[in-house]
Amino acid sequence: MQLAFYFDQTRCTGCHTCVVACKDWHDLPAELVNWRRVTTHEEGTFPNVKVNHISLSCCHCAQPACAEACPEDAIYKRDADGVVLIDAERCTGCRVCEDACPYGAIQFRPDDGSKAEKCTFCADRLEGGEAPICVASCPMRALDFGPVESMRAKPEVAAYVAHVPDSAQTTGWIFIRPK
Amino acid sequence: MKSEIKKVPVGCPHDCGGSCLLIAHVEDGVVKRITTDESLPDAPGVAQLRACLKGRAYRQRLYHPDRLKYPLKRAGERGSGKFERISWDEALDTVAENMLAIREKHGATAILNMSHSGTMLCAYHGKGCIYRLLNMFGGQTMLHSIVSNEGGVFAALQTYGAVFTTSEREDLLNSKMIIIWGWNPTDSVWGTNTSYYLALAREKGARIVAVDPRYTDSAATFAQQWIPIRPGADTAMLIAMAYVIIEENLYDKKFLDRYTIGFDKFREYVMGQEDDVPKTPQWASEITGVPAGTIVELARAYATTKPAALSVGHGPGRTNHGEQFHRAAMTLCAMTGNVGRSGGDTGIAIFGYPIQMKVMNFPAGGSPENASVHFNKWADAIIEGRAGGYPSDIKMVYSVAGNTVNQLGNVRKADRALKTLEFMVAHDHFLTATARYADIVFPATTHFERSDVMTPWCFGHYIIYSDKAIEPYGECRNDIDICADLAKRLGIAGYNDTSEEEWLKYLTSAAEIADWDEFKQRGFLKYELDKPHIAFREQIEDIENSPFSTPSGKIEIYSQSIADMQKPDVPPIPKYVAPQKAETPDPQFPLNLITGHSKKSCNSMFYNLPWVHEAEKQEIWINSVDAGARGIKNGDMVKVTSGVGATILPARVTERIIPGTVNIDQGMQFQLNAEGIDTVGCANAVCPDVHTSVDVTPYNSTRVQVEKMA
Repeated sequence: MQLAFYFDQTRCTGCHTCVVACKDWHDLPAELVNWRRVTTHEEGTFPNVKVNHISLSCCHCAQPACAEACPEDAIYKRDADGVVLIDAERCTGCRVCEDACPYGAIQFRPDDGSKAEKCTFCADRLEGGEAPICVASCPMRALDFGPVESMRAKPEVAAYVAHVPDSAQTTGWIFIRPK
Repeated sequence: MKSEIKKVPVGCPHDCGGSCLLIAHVEDGVVKRITTDESLPDAPGVAQLRACLKGRAYRQRLYHPDRLKYPLKRAGERGSGKFERISWDEALDTVAENMLAIREKHGATAILNMSHSGTMLCAYHGKGCIYRLLNMFGGQTMLHSIVSNEGGVFAALQTYGAVFTTSEREDLLNSKMIIIWGWNPTDSVWGTNTSYYLALAREKGARIVAVDPRYTDSAATFAQQWIPIRPGADTAMLIAMAYVIIEENLYDKKFLDRYTIGFDKFREYVMGQEDDVPKTPQWASEITGVPAGTIVELARAYATTKPAALSVGHGPGRTNHGEQFHRAAMTLCAMTGNVGRSGGDTGIAIFGYPIQMKVMNFPAGGSPENASVHFNKWADAIIEGRAGGYPSDIKMVYSVAGNTVNQLGNVRKADRALKTLEFMVAHDHFLTATARYADIVFPATTHFERSDVMTPWCFGHYIIYSDKAIEPYGECRNDIDICADLAKRLGIAGYNDTSEEEWLKYLTSAAEIADWDEFKQRGFLKYELDKPHIAFREQIEDIENSPFSTPSGKIEIYSQSIADMQKPDVPPIPKYVAPQKAETPDPQFPLNLITGHSKKSCNSMFYNLPWVHEAEKQEIWINSVDAGARGIKNGDMVKVTSGVGATILPARVTERIIPGTVNIDQGMQFQLNAEGIDTVGCANAVCPDVHTSVDVTPYNSTRVQVEKMA
């Protein structure tokens, strides 16, 4: 089984609740590391203007570029649910993975010796049968997660979404209903 | 051994309109994580009360390095922010001695109660504690009018005879068309799940149109169409819509005959029989900047799509003649037969499902002869006193859970006024812009450190039990306990001789709580209604037996009560009142400032939390046309100047705002430099301390100039 994220862009108000919930649950500092990121894209000229928000974390790719790039084999894909995790014991902080990831998901703190960190799909919450904290937090119910097939089957999921890396290339498990 | 994690349900009691559930994960007496409502089912009517980013960041508020831990005594010039730590006894003695001396010398109304909405939704803890104490002490000077929506309150009382004007949010799902007019709930919240229901309504097929000077996140997320409009011109557009609906005979004649009075007079004004000016879409187009064809199309769609909700925000009413905006919106709602009907709306949101009525406020403690001044005139009242026509000479300020100094217009005058006081007290969690001026600051507990019952403003039929999750931070104490200790020193008996739990049971005695322990343990009680709550349903279903509470018993499009007030600027039928001489744009200040609410703050709270601060920065929105003319590029620091002051903040050059208008989100806590200029983008550094003849605070009619900083 492979887990995937779902993001309904038509519902996202850009409120950042998912980001703050992630930071609170995983005790992440402001500014320095962002396991989940919300970006806002404004296009057009007054009064014909469009605004889209995107909420993205690690997409737990089928073939994670970060894992392939890691010289220490510190990044691995869990058999049971395809969640991509980092073995902190093995990570030397060389930052090769940071450039390899198409989503900008891998994060480093500015201090010396900082090791790679990223979204764990809330593996600790999954263990207790709970949804990832971002999914459980979204006031718009714009985020969801589940086995790939059920996320792929959601209505109006698009192959390509502006400002999001093409999952045909990245092999990322993110399904988006675009605006 | 790992210590046990206790999950404690806590509410969120601030002034956004919602009240959400926070679950504190407590380990060794410390909140380690916060989650929200994950109860099932998560369906309309009983939807989860999911918190926003501010609630989720609450841990950073509880344990913020700037959080007040000890009582403080002023140690520098008033407002300098210099304080020293003192004991509770010294703090309480000092306050009691000063209160007694001031009452002796000047009378009790020399004390201005400046407490406000920091813990708005708490039934027990909050500003009610000082209101009770000062009433028992002999009186106070109060602040009247609602800065947010006084125009709406006036219009609702005159038109409907009531302020319970809001249907439950779930009813948005029954609307075929929703016009969100000057309403931005993605940022201002307006009730837990309001934005969620708007998204569901659109998914169900509702046409949603946003009329707003800004392409807000609400417009961007929910609306298929954005109609940019100049601020202060909304009434003209509504009246031109009425023109189209009358001319094309699209109005609900039966509804008007049965439920309203005064439509004929309104029609004469609209069609031009009264003043030879037909209020055509072309007429409105010049005022509003909206193309005439757009007005015609919207009017037709609104009149022919049933039911349709004209859901308006408070922003358009916070302008000169803002009450006319709501009166006109109410008239359109009646003309289209959308009042009192599922899927419709009323043209104003104030109170709604009377859930608040089930939970009592902390008792007032008597009714001495209190004085009262307009909220936006508090500083002027201190400076001018009785000699300036105010009802009292204010010598002392007492503020609990409020930041009035920052949240009302003209902060430079505020600074001047506070420096004339004999004494000032504040209870707070931080050295806010208000607490900075106090002589004694009491460090107060947050709602995580005590128990309470909370209700949302009105949108939702649930109440929250907010349990004590942790012990008080530092030496913090509950506002009520502070007041109770003062009461003893002031010789007042019977201020608070019941326990917190007994108070909470008493205050909720009408709330039909079958199982108190279960309520406490779950943290909420969601009521199931027989039928959805629709404002004025009873009147529309049976007007004979349930008339409106107006003099005529009907919806008053023409109001004799208003006519009797004989205010030349407040007509008895809704009218677009063109800017008066004093309001005519000064060429020195060519831009219209609006001051919206934002995701990053609830009034002046939360922007100091790093997780919230990084999510959204304080900036002035300026259209590329206006920015280009001033050589301003995105991110440049700019100075914004009005007739009362100036503020400095970064510019956000955007296509999301109508040219000629700029927006500064309200809520930043001012920092005046040596020249008296605010340096952090506080909107009230430039908004004036004025009000209209019916007490409207017209912040969104503020005129400014913007220039690039050298």
